Amino acid sequence: MTQNLVETKGLCKSYGGALRVKNLHMQVPEGAIYGFLGPNGAGKSTTLKMILGLAHPTGGEIDVFGKRMNAKNRLDILKDIGSLIESPSYYGHLTGEENLKILQTLRKVPEQNIREALEIVRLTSQKDKQVAHYSLGMKQRLGLAAALLAHPRLLILDEPTNGLDPAGIQEMRELICDLPRRFGMTVLVSSHLLSEIDQMATHVGVIADGALVYQNTIDRLHEKSEHHLALRTLNNPLAQAILTHDGVINDLDADEIILPPLENEEVAHCVALLTDSGIGVLRIEERRKNLEDIFLELTEGAASL
Amino acid sequence: MKALKMEFFKCRRRRIWLPLLVMLAAQLAWGLYSLRALSERELQQGWAMILYNFPMLNAMMTPVIAAVVASRLADIEHKGQTLKLLETVQPTGSLFDAKLICGAAYMTGFLAVQMAVVLLFGICSGFAGNPPVTKLTEYFFSSLVTTLAILLLQLVLSLQIQNQMIGMIVGLIGSFIGLFSLFFPPSFQKAFVWAYYALLYNTGMAWDASTHISDYYFIDFNLSGFLCLIAYFLVIYGVGRVLFIRKEV
Repeated sequence: MTQNLVETKGLCKSYGGALRVKNLHMQVPEGAIYGFLGPNGAGKSTTLKMILGLAHPTGGEIDVFGKRMNAKNRLDILKDIGSLIESPSYYGHLTGEENLKILQTLRKVPEQNIREALEIVRLTSQKDKQVAHYSLGMKQRLGLAAALLAHPRLLILDEPTNGLDPAGIQEMRELICDLPRRFGMTVLVSSHLLSEIDQMATHVGVIADGALVYQNTIDRLHEKSEHHLALRTLNNPLAQAILTHDGVINDLDADEIILPPLENEEVAHCVALLTDSGIGVLRIEERRKNLEDIFLELTEGAASL
Repeated sequence: MKALKMEFFKCRRRRIWLPLLVMLAAQLAWGLYSLRALSERELQQGWAMILYNFPMLNAMMTPVIAAVVASRLADIEHKGQTLKLLETVQPTGSLFDAKLICGAAYMTGFLAVQMAVVLLFGICSGFAGNPPVTKLTEYFFSSLVTTLAILLLQLVLSLQIQNQMIGMIVGLIGSFIGLFSLFFPPSFQKAFVWAYYALLYNTGMAWDASTHISDYYFIDFNLSGFLCLIAYFLVIYGVGRVLFIRKEV
């Protein structure tokens, strides 16, 4: 059985009396890229900060690497975690290498880790430049290098592609996807963009209004997307009556008839049935509920609770 | 130790010493200009006179310098949002301590140079007698502890509040309180950390209205005031450290 590197039990956080994270049960399996998905303000950053001990939970428990996290063992556990929360953290007046030098010293890791981390994020040629003169994409990559510096088992990245241009997003995504394969890391990455998580994650947790409304593998989420056929004719009410009479389950939706996924022969039979009855068939299309629809259903459902 | 080393490392290219140097030059120019041509009688009281002038200058200028140093040390973390990263790699309390010691080193350097110049000036100007080591030491330590207590207060504010203008305004208000505290009664002076420059005077002045002549003389060191200041420092340190550790980033 795969071990969960992060497991939260009934995690809650309130600010000013309002519950922002509600009874969260998150499970991040080892070796996964866990996409933590949710709209802005859903509670993603707060949850990740609680896992890192930067925010104090109002209730619930956090287990990381199988250990219950508390104020005493927090830093010991965090030795094996790299993080990039919200925007990148940096000293603008120092060079990229000097920024990493501070973390390398504080983390007590070998100096050669700086060179390796810079190579991984492809910043070696810019290491002597002051970070204030970096582009946002470079700052973000430096943030990732800082997170990778101690070769962590778990990487926590909060909206790592925020504010990047398409090329920067692509580059960051490639880097993240590479990490479990190259270094055996587990990645917990948050985003409000479904497409981004869809392209990176092996597992997904959907949070809406502070509550975890879905958690499973990304493949299971894909399975939730439903097939159906949309049929448009010159006389939809009559066509529906004929199909119903023939035993074909259907539903009239505005100006089209919705049919379940049918075999090719069954489709041909339905079309023949309608044309024989003198009803002109205008169009027949295969439709699939996409992930966006599912995401909206999940998040809006929670928001309306 | 590593945290402290990194604190100085972070100050690279920040030129934190520059405002200190400018203020020190201004303070020394102001403080020593009036003592450039002293009469024989004044030279007899030279050491007491100079140790009467400098606490006043410290009260006026040092709170602003402490505010600048504290603000610069805290602002490097706020600007790059580095606290959320640092707090995952080092104990939050050790970060606070490292910042305090780093700032304290700058302020100690400031006061040490000031002390050295005062000493040199007294010897070169021909102040009567040997330098009064005890009185100079009392002055140095009372100024240092007062300055460090102010720096600590400023650091707590600058770390808690992102907008560094607040800290600077408090520094300016502090320097006004420091100056006007010279006219406060001692019991009232004790309530304000900026007033301890005045409270811990180890010199006195007698102004003769008929002759318009001032006489400067040494007085006993205010030990109870000094202990009260240390208590003040410890309270600000304890409360400030806990606030910083509890703060969510």
